[in-house]
Amino acid sequence: MYDLIIVGGGIIGVSLAFKLAEQGFGKILLVERNYLGSGSTFRCAGGIRASFTSREHIVLMKRSIELWGELKEKLGVKYSRSGYLWLTHREEDLEKIKGYMRIHHMFGLDTRLVGEDFVKEVAPYVDTSKMVGALFDPLAGKASPFDSLYKQFLAAKSLGVEFLVGKEVTRIDIENGAAKGVLIDGEKIPARNVAVTAGAYSVYLLERNGIKIPLTPVPHHAALTEDFGRLFDPLIIDVASGAYAVQTFHGNVLMGVDVEEKPFGELSVKLAFLEKVVSVWSKWLPWLPNVNILRYWPGYYEMTPDHHPIIGPVTPIENLYIATGFSGHGFMMAPVVAEEVASWITSGRPRSQEAGNLVLSRFEEGKTVKELAVIG
Amino acid sequence: MCERVTVEDVERAIDMGFRDVESLKRYLRIGMGPCQGRYCVPIVLGILSRKLGVPVEKLSYVAIRPPLEPVPVRLFLRVKKDV
Repeated sequence: MYDLIIVGGGIIGVSLAFKLAEQGFGKILLVERNYLGSGSTFRCAGGIRASFTSREHIVLMKRSIELWGELKEKLGVKYSRSGYLWLTHREEDLEKIKGYMRIHHMFGLDTRLVGEDFVKEVAPYVDTSKMVGALFDPLAGKASPFDSLYKQFLAAKSLGVEFLVGKEVTRIDIENGAAKGVLIDGEKIPARNVAVTAGAYSVYLLERNGIKIPLTPVPHHAALTEDFGRLFDPLIIDVASGAYAVQTFHGNVLMGVDVEEKPFGELSVKLAFLEKVVSVWSKWLPWLPNVNILRYWPGYYEMTPDHHPIIGPVTPIENLYIATGFSGHGFMMAPVVAEEVASWITSGRPRSQEAGNLVLSRFEEGKTVKELAVIG
Repeated sequence: MCERVTVEDVERAIDMGFRDVESLKRYLRIGMGPCQGRYCVPIVLGILSRKLGVPVEKLSYVAIRPPLEPVPVRLFLRVKKDV
Protein backbone atom coordinates (compact mmCIF):
# COMPACT_ATOMS: atom_id res chain seq x y z
CA MET A 1 0.00 0.00 0.00
CA TYR A 2 1.41 3.36 -1.04
CA ASP A 3 0.81 6.48 1.03
CA LEU A 4 0.80 8.54 -2.16
CA ILE A 5 0.69 7.89 -5.89
CA ILE A 6 1.71 10.84 -8.07
CA VAL A 7 0.37 10.71 -11.65
CA GLY A 8 2.66 12.65 -13.98
CA GLY A 9 6.47 12.90 -13.97
CA GLY A 10 7.02 16.50 -14.97
CA ILE A 11 8.68 19.10 -12.78
CA ILE A 12 5.57 19.42 -10.57
CA GLY A 13 5.27 15.69 -9.84
CA VAL A 14 9.00 15.14 -9.37
CA SER A 15 9.32 18.23 -7.11
CA LEU A 16 6.37 17.01 -5.01
CA ALA A 17 7.93 13.54 -4.70
CA PHE A 18 11.25 15.06 -3.61
CA LYS A 19 9.64 17.52 -1.16
CA LEU A 20 7.59 14.82 0.60
CA ALA A 21 10.47 12.33 0.60
CA GLU A 22 12.62 14.99 2.27
CA GLN A 23 9.96 15.43 4.94
CA GLY A 24 10.05 11.69 5.60
CA PHE A 25 6.52 11.14 4.29
CA GLY A 26 5.79 7.40 3.81
CA LYS A 27 5.82 5.31 0.66
CA ILE A 28 5.56 7.21 -2.63
CA LEU A 29 5.11 5.97 -6.20
CA LEU A 30 5.38 8.31 -9.19
CA VAL A 31 3.91 7.09 -12.49
CA GLU A 32 4.91 8.65 -15.82
CA ARG A 33 3.46 7.25 -19.04
CA ASN A 34 6.14 8.54 -21.44
CA TYR A 35 9.52 9.67 -20.03
CA LEU A 36 10.18 12.10 -17.17
CA GLY A 37 9.74 15.71 -18.28
CA SER A 38 8.23 14.70 -21.62
CA GLY A 39 5.04 16.77 -21.35
CA SER A 40 5.67 20.48 -20.84
CA THR A 41 8.72 20.64 -18.56
CA PHE A 42 11.36 19.80 -21.16
CA ARG A 43 9.70 22.09 -23.71
CA CYS A 44 9.75 25.17 -21.49
CA ALA A 45 12.12 28.14 -21.46
CA GLY A 46 13.15 27.89 -17.80
CA GLY A 47 12.43 31.52 -16.88
CA ILE A 48 11.66 32.31 -13.23
CA ARG A 49 10.11 35.56 -11.97
CA ALA A 50 7.80 37.01 -9.34
CA SER A 51 7.03 40.15 -11.37
CA PHE A 52 3.40 39.31 -12.11
CA THR A 53 0.33 41.48 -11.54
CA SER A 54 -1.75 39.44 -9.05
CA ARG A 55 -1.19 38.95 -5.31
CA GLU A 56 -1.36 35.15 -5.69
CA HIS A 57 1.26 34.97 -8.40
CA ILE A 58 3.61 37.48 -6.77
CA VAL A 59 3.45 36.09 -3.24
CA LEU A 60 3.77 32.45 -4.33
CA MET A 61 6.57 33.19 -6.77
CA LYS A 62 8.55 35.15 -4.16
CA ARG A 63 8.48 31.99 -2.03
CA SER A 64 9.29 29.82 -5.05
CA ILE A 65 12.38 31.93 -5.77
CA GLU A 66 13.58 31.38 -2.17
CA LEU A 67 13.09 27.65 -2.69
CA TRP A 68 14.92 27.73 -6.05
CA GLY A 69 17.87 29.18 -4.11
CA GLU A 70 17.64 26.29 -1.64
CA LEU A 71 17.52 23.72 -4.47
CA LYS A 72 20.69 25.21 -5.90
CA GLU A 73 22.43 24.99 -2.52
CA LYS A 74 21.17 21.50 -1.66
CA LEU A 75 21.35 19.72 -5.02
CA GLY A 76 23.54 21.98 -7.12
CA VAL A 77 20.67 22.68 -9.54
CA LYS A 78 21.66 24.99 -12.41
CA TYR A 79 19.81 28.15 -11.36
CA SER A 80 20.81 31.76 -11.64
CA ARG A 81 19.22 35.02 -10.46
CA SER A 82 20.17 36.77 -13.68
CA GLY A 83 17.00 38.86 -13.99
CA TYR A 84 14.30 39.63 -16.53
CA LEU A 85 14.61 42.59 -18.87
CA TRP A 86 11.56 44.07 -20.65
CA LEU A 87 12.64 45.99 -23.74
CA THR A 88 10.52 48.64 -25.44
CA HIS A 89 10.99 50.50 -28.68
CA ARG A 90 7.65 52.39 -28.56
CA GLU A 91 6.54 55.17 -26.19
CA GLU A 92 3.16 53.51 -25.52
CA ASP A 93 4.84 50.37 -24.22
CA LEU A 94 6.86 52.43 -21.79
CA GLU A 95 3.61 53.47 -20.04
CA LYS A 96 2.63 49.79 -19.88
CA ILE A 97 5.81 48.69 -18.11
CA LYS A 98 5.58 51.64 -15.71
CA GLY A 99 2.12 50.34 -14.78
CA TYR A 100 3.56 46.87 -14.14
CA MET A 101 6.31 48.40 -12.03
CA ARG A 102 3.84 50.21 -9.76
CA ILE A 103 2.12 46.89 -9.00
CA HIS A 104 5.47 45.19 -8.36
CA HIS A 105 6.42 47.93 -5.88
CA MET A 106 3.14 47.42 -3.96
CA PHE A 107 4.38 43.89 -3.17
CA GLY A 108 7.95 44.88 -2.41
CA LEU A 109 9.43 43.74 -5.72
CA ASP A 110 12.41 45.81 -6.67
CA THR A 111 11.82 46.20 -10.43
CA ARG A 112 13.20 49.40 -11.95
CA LEU A 113 13.53 51.32 -15.19
CA VAL A 114 17.04 51.06 -16.58
CA GLY A 115 18.96 52.89 -19.28
CA GLU A 116 21.20 51.90 -22.14
CA ASP A 117 24.36 51.67 -20.04
CA PHE A 118 22.80 49.15 -17.70
CA VAL A 119 21.40 47.06 -20.57
CA LYS A 120 24.82 46.96 -22.22
CA GLU A 121 26.31 45.67 -18.98
CA VAL A 122 23.92 42.75 -18.43
CA ALA A 123 23.17 42.12 -22.11
CA PRO A 124 26.24 43.07 -24.15
CA TYR A 125 24.92 41.53 -27.37
CA VAL A 126 21.55 43.29 -27.33
CA ASP A 127 21.36 46.29 -29.69
CA THR A 128 20.02 49.29 -27.76
CA SER A 129 19.93 51.82 -30.62
CA LYS A 130 16.14 51.51 -31.05
CA MET A 131 15.43 51.23 -27.33
CA VAL A 132 12.99 53.71 -25.77
CA GLY A 133 13.05 52.20 -22.29
CA ALA A 134 13.58 49.02 -20.30
CA LEU A 135 12.35 47.47 -17.06
CA PHE A 136 14.64 45.19 -15.06
CA ASP A 137 13.63 42.63 -12.42
CA PRO A 138 16.74 41.65 -10.45
CA LEU A 139 14.98 38.91 -8.43
CA ALA A 140 14.00 36.98 -11.55
CA GLY A 141 16.23 34.39 -13.21
CA LYS A 142 16.40 31.07 -14.97
CA ALA A 143 17.03 27.37 -14.28
CA SER A 144 17.79 24.39 -16.48
CA PRO A 145 14.64 22.25 -16.88
CA PHE A 146 16.71 19.09 -17.50
CA ASP A 147 19.08 19.62 -14.60
CA SER A 148 16.45 20.64 -12.05
CA LEU A 149 14.17 17.72 -12.89
CA TYR A 150 16.92 15.09 -13.02
CA LYS A 151 18.65 16.22 -9.80
CA GLN A 152 15.36 16.08 -7.90
CA PHE A 153 14.54 12.72 -9.51
CA LEU A 154 17.87 11.21 -8.43
CA ALA A 155 17.56 12.72 -4.94
CA ALA A 156 13.97 11.47 -4.54
CA LYS A 157 15.01 8.01 -5.76
CA SER A 158 17.83 7.84 -3.23
CA LEU A 159 15.28 8.75 -0.53
CA GLY A 160 13.18 5.74 -1.50
CA VAL A 161 10.59 7.17 -3.92
CA GLU A 162 9.61 4.57 -6.53
CA PHE A 163 9.33 5.61 -10.18
CA LEU A 164 7.24 3.71 -12.71
CA VAL A 165 8.07 5.10 -16.14
CA GLY A 166 6.46 4.01 -19.41
CA LYS A 167 3.18 2.89 -17.80
CA GLU A 168 -0.05 4.83 -18.14
CA VAL A 169 -2.57 5.44 -15.39
CA THR A 170 -5.83 4.83 -17.23
CA ARG A 171 -8.01 6.17 -14.41
CA ILE A 172 -8.10 7.05 -10.75
CA ASP A 173 -9.73 4.43 -8.55
CA ILE A 174 -12.49 6.30 -6.74
CA GLU A 175 -14.82 4.45 -4.39
CA ASN A 176 -17.45 5.97 -2.07
CA GLY A 177 -16.28 9.48 -2.83
CA ALA A 178 -12.62 8.85 -1.99
CA ALA A 179 -9.52 8.10 -4.06
CA LYS A 180 -8.26 4.58 -3.31
CA GLY A 181 -5.41 4.32 -5.82
CA VAL A 182 -4.96 4.15 -9.59
CA LEU A 183 -5.56 1.69 -12.41
CA ILE A 184 -2.67 0.65 -14.65
CA ASP A 185 -3.23 -2.01 -17.36
CA GLY A 186 -6.52 -2.89 -15.66
CA GLU A 187 -4.75 -3.57 -12.39
CA LYS A 188 -5.54 -1.65 -9.21
CA ILE A 189 -2.63 -0.13 -7.34
CA PRO A 190 -3.91 0.94 -3.92
CA ALA A 191 -2.85 4.17 -2.22
CA ARG A 192 -4.01 6.36 0.65
CA ASN A 193 -3.66 9.53 -1.47
CA VAL A 194 -3.46 10.33 -5.18
CA ALA A 195 -2.02 13.52 -6.67
CA VAL A 196 -2.60 14.40 -10.33
CA THR A 197 0.28 16.43 -11.77
CA ALA A 198 -0.21 15.52 -15.41
CA GLY A 199 -0.15 19.05 -16.86
CA ALA A 200 -2.32 19.50 -19.93
CA TYR A 201 -3.21 15.79 -19.85
CA SER A 202 -4.83 16.08 -16.39
CA VAL A 203 -8.03 17.20 -18.09
CA TYR A 204 -8.27 13.95 -20.11
CA LEU A 205 -7.36 11.74 -17.15
CA LEU A 206 -9.93 13.24 -14.78
CA GLU A 207 -12.60 13.21 -17.49
CA ARG A 208 -12.54 9.40 -17.29
CA ASN A 209 -13.64 9.71 -13.68
CA GLY A 210 -16.37 12.15 -14.67
CA ILE A 211 -14.47 15.06 -13.10
CA LYS A 212 -14.45 18.21 -15.20
CA ILE A 213 -11.73 20.77 -14.66
CA PRO A 214 -11.66 24.11 -16.51
CA LEU A 215 -8.40 23.46 -18.32
CA THR A 216 -7.62 24.22 -21.95
CA PRO A 217 -4.35 23.06 -23.54
CA VAL A 218 -3.14 25.65 -26.08
CA PRO A 219 -0.08 24.97 -28.28
CA HIS A 220 2.92 27.28 -27.96
CA HIS A 221 6.20 27.18 -29.84
CA ALA A 222 9.90 27.57 -29.10
CA ALA A 223 13.04 27.53 -31.24
CA LEU A 224 16.69 27.20 -30.28
CA THR A 225 19.92 28.43 -31.92
CA GLU A 226 23.35 26.85 -31.75
CA ASP A 227 25.40 27.65 -28.63
CA PHE A 228 27.61 30.68 -28.00
CA GLY A 229 29.59 32.31 -25.18
CA ARG A 230 27.94 34.97 -23.03
CA LEU A 231 25.43 37.05 -25.06
CA PHE A 232 22.94 38.29 -22.45
CA ASP A 233 22.30 37.26 -18.84
CA PRO A 234 18.64 38.12 -18.19
CA LEU A 235 15.66 36.62 -19.95
CA ILE A 236 14.63 39.36 -22.38
CA ILE A 237 11.09 40.29 -23.40
CA ASP A 238 10.01 42.42 -26.35
CA VAL A 239 7.05 44.24 -24.79
CA ALA A 240 5.37 45.10 -28.11
CA SER A 241 5.02 41.45 -29.20
CA GLY A 242 5.36 39.60 -25.89
CA ALA A 243 8.21 37.53 -27.41
CA TYR A 244 10.89 36.21 -25.05
CA ALA A 245 14.47 35.05 -25.52
CA VAL A 246 16.77 33.42 -23.01
CA GLN A 247 20.34 32.16 -23.26
CA THR A 248 20.41 28.65 -21.80
CA PHE A 249 23.15 27.50 -19.42
CA HIS A 250 24.62 25.62 -22.36
CA GLY A 251 24.77 28.84 -24.43
CA ASN A 252 21.94 28.36 -26.94
CA VAL A 253 19.39 31.13 -27.47
CA LEU A 254 15.85 29.86 -26.85
CA MET A 255 13.09 32.05 -28.31
CA GLY A 256 9.30 32.03 -28.22
CA VAL A 257 6.37 34.21 -29.26
CA ASP A 258 2.59 33.82 -29.40
CA VAL A 259 1.10 32.76 -32.72
CA GLU A 260 -2.57 32.12 -33.36
CA GLU A 261 -3.51 28.67 -32.06
CA LYS A 262 -6.69 26.78 -31.36
CA PRO A 263 -7.58 25.51 -27.88
CA PHE A 264 -7.01 21.73 -27.70
CA GLY A 265 -5.06 22.11 -31.00
CA GLU A 266 -2.55 19.45 -32.03
CA LEU A 267 1.14 19.99 -31.40
CA SER A 268 2.48 20.66 -34.89
CA VAL A 269 5.21 22.94 -36.22
CA LYS A 270 4.51 26.14 -38.16
CA LEU A 271 6.85 28.09 -40.44
CA ALA A 272 4.82 31.20 -39.55
CA PHE A 273 6.07 30.87 -35.97
CA LEU A 274 9.73 30.76 -37.02
CA GLU A 275 9.22 33.77 -39.29
CA LYS A 276 7.59 35.78 -36.50
CA VAL A 277 10.02 34.89 -33.73
CA VAL A 278 13.17 35.58 -35.75
CA SER A 279 11.70 38.85 -37.13
CA VAL A 280 11.03 40.15 -33.61
CA TRP A 281 14.41 39.15 -32.27
CA SER A 282 16.45 40.32 -35.25
CA LYS A 283 15.38 43.84 -34.18
CA TRP A 284 17.17 43.50 -30.83
CA LEU A 285 19.81 40.93 -31.83
CA PRO A 286 21.20 42.14 -35.18
CA TRP A 287 23.55 39.14 -35.43
CA LEU A 288 20.67 36.66 -35.24
CA PRO A 289 20.08 36.31 -39.04
CA ASN A 290 23.58 34.88 -39.38
CA VAL A 291 23.32 32.08 -36.82
CA ASN A 292 21.71 28.66 -37.17
CA ILE A 293 18.44 27.32 -35.80
CA LEU A 294 19.13 23.87 -34.34
CA ARG A 295 15.75 22.76 -33.07
CA TYR A 296 12.13 23.84 -32.99
CA TRP A 297 9.33 22.24 -30.98
CA PRO A 298 5.76 22.90 -29.84
CA GLY A 299 4.35 22.32 -26.36
CA TYR A 300 1.21 23.06 -24.37
CA TYR A 301 0.33 25.93 -22.08
CA GLU A 302 -2.51 24.50 -20.00
CA MET A 303 -4.76 27.52 -19.51
CA THR A 304 -7.41 28.15 -16.85
CA PRO A 305 -10.13 30.83 -17.08
CA ASP A 306 -8.24 33.20 -14.72
CA HIS A 307 -4.75 32.15 -15.91
CA HIS A 308 -3.83 30.97 -12.42
CA PRO A 309 -3.08 27.36 -11.47
CA ILE A 310 -5.34 24.86 -9.75
CA ILE A 311 -3.64 23.65 -6.57
CA GLY A 312 -5.06 21.50 -3.77
CA PRO A 313 -7.87 19.05 -3.09
CA VAL A 314 -10.32 17.92 -5.79
CA THR A 315 -13.41 18.50 -3.65
CA PRO A 316 -15.69 16.78 -2.84
CA ILE A 317 -13.56 13.67 -3.51
CA GLU A 318 -11.39 12.77 -0.56
CA ASN A 319 -7.67 12.03 -0.74
CA LEU A 320 -7.41 13.33 -4.31
CA TYR A 321 -5.18 16.32 -5.02
CA ILE A 322 -4.29 18.23 -8.14
CA ALA A 323 -1.67 20.72 -9.32
CA THR A 324 -2.05 21.87 -12.92
CA GLY A 325 -3.36 24.75 -15.03
CA PHE A 326 -0.20 26.80 -14.75
CA SER A 327 -0.98 28.73 -17.93
CA GLY A 328 2.69 28.79 -18.96
CA HIS A 329 4.25 29.29 -15.50
CA GLY A 330 4.48 25.77 -14.09
CA PHE A 331 8.22 25.27 -14.20
CA MET A 332 9.00 28.42 -12.20
CA MET A 333 6.25 27.67 -9.68
CA ALA A 334 7.22 24.01 -9.11
CA PRO A 335 9.10 24.43 -5.80
CA VAL A 336 6.34 26.43 -4.09
CA VAL A 337 3.61 24.22 -5.57
CA ALA A 338 5.38 21.13 -4.23
CA GLU A 339 5.50 22.75 -0.81
CA GLU A 340 1.82 23.74 -0.91
CA VAL A 341 0.54 20.36 -2.17
CA ALA A 342 2.71 18.61 0.44
CA SER A 343 1.03 20.80 3.06
CA TRP A 344 -2.46 19.91 1.76
CA ILE A 345 -1.61 16.19 1.83
CA THR A 346 0.06 16.10 5.24
CA SER A 347 -2.03 18.66 7.16
CA GLY A 348 -5.22 19.15 5.13
CA ARG A 349 -4.59 22.84 4.56
CA PRO A 350 -2.43 25.09 2.43
CA ARG A 351 0.70 26.74 3.76
CA SER A 352 -0.35 30.20 2.57
CA GLN A 353 -3.65 32.00 2.05
CA GLU A 354 -2.62 32.81 -1.53
CA ALA A 355 -2.30 29.11 -2.38
CA GLY A 356 -5.62 28.50 -0.62
CA ASN A 357 -7.21 30.92 -3.11
CA LEU A 358 -6.18 28.65 -5.98
CA VAL A 359 -8.27 25.57 -5.16
CA LEU A 360 -10.40 23.95 -7.87
CA SER A 361 -13.69 24.91 -6.16
CA ARG A 362 -13.02 28.62 -6.84
CA PHE A 363 -14.45 28.25 -10.34
CA GLU A 364 -17.78 26.87 -9.10
CA GLU A 365 -17.98 29.35 -6.26
CA GLY A 366 -17.19 32.28 -8.52
CA LYS A 367 -14.05 33.13 -6.57
CA THR A 368 -11.65 33.33 -9.50
CA VAL A 369 -8.47 35.28 -8.94
CA LYS A 370 -8.43 38.82 -10.26
CA GLU A 371 -5.52 40.54 -11.86
CA LEU A 372 -4.85 43.73 -9.93
CA ALA A 373 -4.77 45.79 -13.05
CA VAL A 374 -5.41 45.07 -16.65
CA ILE A 375 -2.88 47.17 -18.44
CA GLY A 376 -2.96 47.86 -22.15
CA MET B 1 30.13 11.18 -29.55
CA CYS B 2 29.09 14.80 -30.00
CA GLU B 3 28.81 17.09 -26.96
CA ARG B 4 31.90 15.19 -25.67
CA VAL B 5 29.90 12.29 -24.24
CA THR B 6 31.77 9.01 -23.76
CA VAL B 7 30.51 5.43 -23.91
CA GLU B 8 31.29 5.22 -20.19
CA ASP B 9 29.00 8.24 -19.54
CA VAL B 10 26.19 6.47 -21.38
CA GLU B 11 26.68 3.21 -19.47
CA ARG B 12 26.77 5.03 -16.13
CA ALA B 13 23.58 6.98 -16.94
CA ILE B 14 21.77 3.77 -17.85
CA ASP B 15 22.80 2.32 -14.49
CA MET B 16 21.45 5.46 -12.77
CA GLY B 17 18.00 4.81 -14.22
CA PHE B 18 17.99 6.69 -17.56
CA ARG B 19 16.68 3.78 -19.61
CA ASP B 20 15.31 5.36 -22.76
CA VAL B 21 17.04 7.35 -25.44
CA GLU B 22 14.92 10.52 -24.91
CA SER B 23 16.03 10.69 -21.27
CA LEU B 24 19.65 9.85 -22.12
CA LYS B 25 19.57 12.69 -24.67
CA ARG B 26 18.43 15.20 -22.08
CA TYR B 27 20.62 13.92 -19.27
CA LEU B 28 23.83 13.71 -21.30
CA ARG B 29 23.09 16.09 -24.22
CA ILE B 30 23.69 13.36 -26.83
CA GLY B 31 22.01 14.40 -30.05
CA MET B 32 21.87 18.07 -29.09
CA GLY B 33 25.02 19.14 -30.91
CA PRO B 34 25.42 20.23 -34.54
CA CYS B 35 24.64 16.77 -36.01
CA GLN B 36 21.37 16.66 -34.06
CA GLY B 37 21.94 13.02 -33.20
CA ARG B 38 22.33 11.66 -36.71
CA TYR B 39 25.68 10.09 -35.73
CA CYS B 40 25.44 9.41 -32.03
CA VAL B 41 21.87 8.25 -31.46
CA PRO B 42 22.35 4.94 -33.34
CA ILE B 43 25.48 4.29 -31.24
CA VAL B 44 23.58 5.04 -28.03
CA LEU B 45 20.75 2.74 -29.11
CA GLY B 46 23.36 -0.01 -29.56
CA ILE B 47 24.71 0.49 -26.04
CA LEU B 48 21.19 0.64 -24.59
CA SER B 49 20.22 -2.54 -26.42
CA ARG B 50 23.27 -4.39 -25.04
CA LYS B 51 22.80 -3.12 -21.48
CA LEU B 52 19.07 -3.80 -21.28
CA GLY B 53 19.13 -7.01 -23.32
CA VAL B 54 16.44 -5.62 -25.62
CA PRO B 55 16.81 -5.94 -29.42
CA VAL B 56 17.64 -2.57 -30.94
CA GLU B 57 14.58 -2.60 -33.21
CA LYS B 58 12.37 -2.75 -30.11
CA LEU B 59 13.83 0.51 -28.78
CA SER B 60 12.28 3.77 -29.92
CA TYR B 61 14.29 6.44 -31.72
CA VAL B 62 14.36 10.06 -30.49
CA ALA B 63 11.64 12.42 -31.73
CA ILE B 64 13.03 14.34 -34.71
CA ARG B 65 12.78 18.09 -34.20
CA PRO B 66 12.86 20.27 -37.30
CA PRO B 67 14.85 21.58 -39.09
CA LEU B 68 16.56 18.39 -40.30
CA GLU B 69 19.91 20.14 -40.18
CA PRO B 70 20.96 23.52 -38.75
CA VAL B 71 19.45 26.28 -40.92
CA PRO B 72 20.51 29.96 -40.89
CA VAL B 73 17.95 32.28 -39.29
CA ARG B 74 17.98 34.65 -42.31
CA LEU B 75 16.14 32.05 -44.41
CA PHE B 76 13.20 32.13 -41.99
CA LEU B 77 13.05 35.93 -42.25
CA ARG B 78 11.96 35.45 -45.87
CA VAL B 79 9.08 33.05 -45.22
CA LYS B 80 6.06 34.30 -47.20
CA LYS B 81 3.47 31.68 -46.31
CA ASP B 82 3.12 28.57 -44.23
CA VAL B 83 3.17 25.10 -45.79
